[in-house]
Amino acid sequence: MSLGDIVIETKDLKVYFTKGGFLSKKSIVKAVDDVSIKIRRGEILGLVGESGSGKTTLGRTTIGLQAPTEGQVIYYNSKGISHLITPKTITKDIRRKLQMIYQDPYSSIDPYMKVYDALRQPLYYAGIRERAEIEEIIHKAFDDVGLPYELLNNYVFQLSGGQRQRLAIARALMMDPDYLVADEPVTMLDASLKGLIVEDLKKINQSRGLSILFITHELPVAKVIAHRIAIMYLGKIVEIGPTKRIMENPLHPYTQALLQAYPRLEPEARDKFFKVNVRELELVWPKSGCKFHPRCPFVMKRCETEEPPLKEVEPGHYVACWLY
Amino acid sequence: MPPLLRVEGLKVYFHMPRGVVRAVDEVNIYLNKGEIIGIAGESGSGKSTLALGIMRLIMPPGFIEGGNVYFDDTEVLHLPEKVFNSEYRWKRIAMVFQGSMNGFTPVYKIRDQIKEVLEVHGYTGDPDQRVNELMKMVNLDPSIADRYPHELSGGQKQRAFIAMALALNPQVLIADEPTTALDVITQTHIINLLKQLRKELDISIIFITHDIALMSMIADRMYIMYAGRIVEHADTADIVRKPKHPYTKLLMEAVPDPSKDYIKGIPGFMPDLARLPPGCRFQTRCPFVMDICKREEPRLKRVENSEVACWLYG
Repeated sequence: MSLGDIVIETKDLKVYFTKGGFLSKKSIVKAVDDVSIKIRRGEILGLVGESGSGKTTLGRTTIGLQAPTEGQVIYYNSKGISHLITPKTITKDIRRKLQMIYQDPYSSIDPYMKVYDALRQPLYYAGIRERAEIEEIIHKAFDDVGLPYELLNNYVFQLSGGQRQRLAIARALMMDPDYLVADEPVTMLDASLKGLIVEDLKKINQSRGLSILFITHELPVAKVIAHRIAIMYLGKIVEIGPTKRIMENPLHPYTQALLQAYPRLEPEARDKFFKVNVRELELVWPKSGCKFHPRCPFVMKRCETEEPPLKEVEPGHYVACWLY
Repeated sequence: MPPLLRVEGLKVYFHMPRGVVRAVDEVNIYLNKGEIIGIAGESGSGKSTLALGIMRLIMPPGFIEGGNVYFDDTEVLHLPEKVFNSEYRWKRIAMVFQGSMNGFTPVYKIRDQIKEVLEVHGYTGDPDQRVNELMKMVNLDPSIADRYPHELSGGQKQRAFIAMALALNPQVLIADEPTTALDVITQTHIINLLKQLRKELDISIIFITHDIALMSMIADRMYIMYAGRIVEHADTADIVRKPKHPYTKLLMEAVPDPSKDYIKGIPGFMPDLARLPPGCRFQTRCPFVMDICKREEPRLKRVENSEVACWLYG
């Protein structure tokens, strides 16, 4: 599969939240800080980071659910016409093309709805009200995720976790989107289901040419599904590049630690696993310099004062670290 | 030397309107002194219920319906609750619960919450000094005890909770998914801490997780649990190199591993524990299912260095 034109682009995107200010000291949380990424048609970009790194906020901002503090999100439709995406400027037609699935399939769909109704409602608001047309769309979406039509008459609470997540994916696919934000879609699922849902998403990406921003904190999951991987740390993209290169030649000390810390089924790997030399995350954010410097094993003087920019180290592989 | 903790034929059943859910069904495990054992299985396999059963913390509609738990050769499952509470729970067997990092009350400082545990269990020394000692044990600065829970990071909270579990010098620590909500780097630090505690305090640990790869990084021996039963038991190296039960094999293939290009799933669902079919509990998902699997339930049997409950091994 070849990758096409850009579908979603962020330009120097910043999303800040103000915390406190009533009784406590006011502080600004930089959830997304100066992020510029491009996602092409048919591409899966894996966005990897720990909780609180801002990956969900970035995902939400790219589909217009969150207003950027600064910078822009631009969506290019199939004709190549660009649209600025903010909660105020987004139109109904564009919103349909940008969809999202959420982490917890148990709370993202009303459990007391019939499956059919849970799917019919968004179509109704999209102006699709002919029964035959509704059924055609639902059946196609069900085929894509491998759910049997018989489930349509069940209540949502009767579905298992895996079926619910598939239902959430089907619901997002009904609108024939160009771009899908998948926010930790396999995190809540058991090991036995993870692989199956990942395969589903891969198939959908290939058959529909759908672009996906796949948000996860598990690097090995991103490795399996994504064409490119972006590593996010406290609001910044610290490394981005082709999946193969990131896995074979991780450059940022944080990426290296992530790879090293991942438990493997090799008793010989035990010693390596225990030698991760990155310190634990503290709640105090560094005020200046590289965001990672308080935990970095290779910290230098410069890291404490100056923030490193993203630099291209090999074709398409960027890293933000003074080591390079 | 006899094992420190021995669980024999433990049954924990939940009496639900739709029937009796056999969450833990005739489970045998043992734990030697200074050992770390692992119990692995997917959600609903009964691994947390097993731990709660050992701690005698099962709430109705759940009941312990049979079996024995020996602690140093004393039967503790049938001791009067008062005796168990004053002599065993938290004093000799302590537990770090699943999601326990969110188990602190947000309105009290960590120090006061640990002191409360000391007080309730009749600690006689200086509680403040003990809190400081405990914080050092888990590699936290004692000043962190004077913070409120929300002022701590996830890893620090988990450490503080482990400190609380260690308050009364238990000999056995049950850690139920202690790293599930943490990022992978913090996870390695918590695992390192557990290893360090075993060495320094000579404590024995039961480690419960759904992540079989993580388990292989810490456990000396592993029990694989499926639908309320132990289906395989062996030394970690033996399980990892030569898994025997089809479920263990599938579970290992389902692990996201950075050196693999795929993640396999295990198709199908765990059976309804209230309406178990006759025969093996894994028959509905097993790729090697045979006639006998649908009639008779296999028992744990010694095969090479492992114990496995599967008809493939006769």
